[in-house]
Amino acid sequence: MDNVASLMHGFSVAISFHHIALMIAGVLLGILVGVLPGLGAPNGVSLMLPLTFSMDPVSAIILLTSLYWGALFGGSTTSILFNIPGEPSSVATTFDGHPMAKQGKATEALSLAFLSAGFGALAGVILITVLSSWVAGFALRFSSPEFFAVYFITFASFIGLGGASPFKTIVAMCVGFSLASIGMDTVSGSVRLTFGFDVLLAGVSFLIAVIGLFGVGELLLTMEDGLSFRGIAAKVRLGDVLRTAAKLPRYWLALLRSAAIGIWMGITPGGPTAASFLSYAMAKRSSRNPEKFGKGEPEGVISPETADHAAGSAAMLPMLALGIPGSATAAVMMGGLMIWGLNPGPTLFTDRPDFVWGLIASMYLGNIVAVITVLATVPLFASILRIPFSIIGPLIIVVCFIGAYTVAGKPFDLWIALAFGIVGYAFKKLDYPIAPMILAMVIGDKAEDAFRQSMIFSQGSLSIFWSNALVSTLMGIGLMLLFMPLIGATIRRMRGQAVSRTA
Amino acid sequence: MKQFALTAALTAAFALGGGATAQAWQPTGPIEFVVTSGPGGGTDNFARVIQSIISKHKLVEQSIVVVNKGGGSGAEGYLQGKAGKGDAHKVIFGTNNAYLLPYVAKLAFSKSDLTPVAALALDEFLLWVNGSAPYNDAKSYIDAVKAKPGFKMAGSQSKDTDQTLTVMIQEATGAKWIYVPFQGGSAAATQLAGGHVDSNTNNPNENVGQWKAGQVKPLCVFSPVRLAKSEPVFGGKGWGDIPTCKESGIPIESFQMPRTVWLPADVPADAVKFYEGVLEKVSQTPEWQEFVTRTAQTARFMKGQELADFVAKDEAANKKVFEAEGWVVK
Amino acid sequence: MVTRLWAETVVALFTLAYGLTIVWGALEFGIGWDTSGPEAGAFPFYTGMLVALGSLATLALTWSKRLSGRDMLAEVVLDGERIHRVASFFLPILGFVILCATLGMYVATVVYLVFTMRFQGGFGWLRTLTVAIGSAVFFYLALERFFHIPLMKGPLEAALGL
Repeated sequence: MDNVASLMHGFSVAISFHHIALMIAGVLLGILVGVLPGLGAPNGVSLMLPLTFSMDPVSAIILLTSLYWGALFGGSTTSILFNIPGEPSSVATTFDGHPMAKQGKATEALSLAFLSAGFGALAGVILITVLSSWVAGFALRFSSPEFFAVYFITFASFIGLGGASPFKTIVAMCVGFSLASIGMDTVSGSVRLTFGFDVLLAGVSFLIAVIGLFGVGELLLTMEDGLSFRGIAAKVRLGDVLRTAAKLPRYWLALLRSAAIGIWMGITPGGPTAASFLSYAMAKRSSRNPEKFGKGEPEGVISPETADHAAGSAAMLPMLALGIPGSATAAVMMGGLMIWGLNPGPTLFTDRPDFVWGLIASMYLGNIVAVITVLATVPLFASILRIPFSIIGPLIIVVCFIGAYTVAGKPFDLWIALAFGIVGYAFKKLDYPIAPMILAMVIGDKAEDAFRQSMIFSQGSLSIFWSNALVSTLMGIGLMLLFMPLIGATIRRMRGQAVSRTA
Repeated sequence: MKQFALTAALTAAFALGGGATAQAWQPTGPIEFVVTSGPGGGTDNFARVIQSIISKHKLVEQSIVVVNKGGGSGAEGYLQGKAGKGDAHKVIFGTNNAYLLPYVAKLAFSKSDLTPVAALALDEFLLWVNGSAPYNDAKSYIDAVKAKPGFKMAGSQSKDTDQTLTVMIQEATGAKWIYVPFQGGSAAATQLAGGHVDSNTNNPNENVGQWKAGQVKPLCVFSPVRLAKSEPVFGGKGWGDIPTCKESGIPIESFQMPRTVWLPADVPADAVKFYEGVLEKVSQTPEWQEFVTRTAQTARFMKGQELADFVAKDEAANKKVFEAEGWVVK
Repeated sequence: MVTRLWAETVVALFTLAYGLTIVWGALEFGIGWDTSGPEAGAFPFYTGMLVALGSLATLALTWSKRLSGRDMLAEVVLDGERIHRVASFFLPILGFVILCATLGMYVATVVYLVFTMRFQGGFGWLRTLTVAIGSAVFFYLALERFFHIPLMKGPLEAALGL
């Protein structure tokens, strides 16, 4: 109950005209940053950092976190409307969000995305409020084997999801893995697979790949059919937003499951991107009609969005309490904390309660402000779809390439984005699945590092993955997810045989 | 004390300001600060604090843009320096990586592609163990490591400062660790706090949060003299109370990482003078003193010959380890 | 005209070549398993190998279907008209990237948008120029001025002293 009292104190710190104005400004800036692919939340936050040096820490963190929420929301907007994820964590939102928009249900998709994202974020913050000290202790139990197990669960849940040829799935996934291993290798300290090209030193950014595969590749496909975005005549009314909101409680199970997955991945910390993929996979697996996924199933929007935001806000906890950034953005904010003179770590909660609880209170308020602000922008964004394709198509291309350049300021990235555009086009034409490739690029190198660190710990013995209750449980869940499709198929076949025999 | 520092800083700034007008070289466009680490890293904080001090005290007329080029342990940033040959509007912020990286990784740059400008601080290395570990001084810990194999040392990256220092300790004492490389200092800190490894050699700033909570404790500092006195951090002990490693029986004189600033090769000598002047003024501001104190680094401004001597000495010491360990790439 | 057979073959050969390149790059490092686990080259080596094997399997599957006559894979994945449409969209993009590298991103944006809108989309000059110049100015203000992110610049910006 102490926490509730502290939270109330936090609200008294956070609620002021000045702070609410900062939240709105932050959210709007965040939406701008989020809408531009490539220019993601981590960039946005680090660019705003110098502005905050002259502010007091509470105002500064409110501005930065609001920018983060805004960016997460903005990222989903472009995912749904143009199939271009503005943020890495909104890749999974494209799978069903964009089909919905194509069917003329853009408003519904956007509203669902924002509302469920708001739900996820609040779930994450409530957890921080109630369980902060327990969670902080729990997260300390994670070492390399446990991290590897968490990544393994994510991969295992995603394998065997799509109906694509298994060979093509393997090719796509391993292309992703190998791309992720380009550049400096943490464990050995050597520079791998750059073939002597300095431009590859920093690796191939997964953001550039996403811009090419989704943005450019998608537009090439659209052009080939000679189609514009369908459903552009859909009218946008406030009523649609409210009607969608009224439908949301129907998806309570998906919301709760996804929030739980998101919180788990935010704390452990697998990060928001992995969380949204995992959540999408779990939604499809547990659905009664998995065949609807990928074709505009509302649950396919709700699940990744809820998990993404739950992870995003829950990731603040390990950052504050342990000094482990749960996401790239959290890493930048941690740098900010140090510059403001705060030391993230277990004692921050007791040293600077006004700051910590002011921040937590602002997370409640900031997310509510963000949901209202972005919902107000839905008509604006949806109306973009009414612009003729011969204008919006080239504009999206310009935004994609400018976005690709802003990721790292490297001219060479434009060529990489173009190459990925061709790859994305060819892969989509020939039914190579793209999602496993992206997933492998996002967490492939982390999984590899965690695995090799574990092997250093155990001096080369795989038994470390069963060395304690926590890691054994995680690996068990992963193996179960990996083999469940096989087992399920076997059971179905046996049942089928049994039925035919009796008949 | 603070009053004195402030007055001194103002006087110095004034004196230097008087000299600055006579300088031949002035920036004619926006200046790019190339940071050889990702956002949020130690070098990133170093550059951004300097940026904020410069803009607050209006030490440079032109605007400053900070760009992160942290790929390949910072090699990407140094390569920018190589590509910007002769461009005095590109300032590269780094560590001793600038002259050590080319030894251990196959990279297309060398020390001669950069012009040294200044170093502003020395980041310290300490030997840390878990807060509940039974060792209260470096000697008892080293003895325990020698007695039983299998102790683990966490550090950030491979063939980088942490692992170099670990090798130096091994050579100096005869103890032996399993070195586990993590992505960064904060991961190494939490792994130690969670008891998954036995020690690390983190910089003060990377472990202070855990020390405050008593989850980790410092045994000794690899510095020729003790750190500056500070407020108590945990259990009545502050930074100044930590013994040096040499006095606790680890015969290593010093191991420190300079925070360095570079320009590309072939820039006018006046441009180097210009930045030396600006950075010297930065190093005398109360904000800089405050930053250095808070992150428990050692403030030390070096330029010209003093910097060159430091670099030569540091390079030689590290090179010895690299060669002995077979890390040097051809 | 491109049939499924040839599209599958070309893409599989491409991924095969990619996989082998990765394998070759990984061989520079150890690919074995020593006391501290897999060596630096192991993961890239095996993932590259899997890419190559997966590509071979796809190739084998494609051609066995064709040769056994079960499925001629003669379905046309790209006909002349589609090729024309894709090319008319793709080639300007290629031109845009080349312009970015030579004239800077702002000029490239204007040229590219004018080309696609005026000469491909058939919009009037007024509308075309408004959108094209408006976008460039927007990016300049938003990125360069507000966020302090410099984009690639070319001779025009240098002449204007921006």
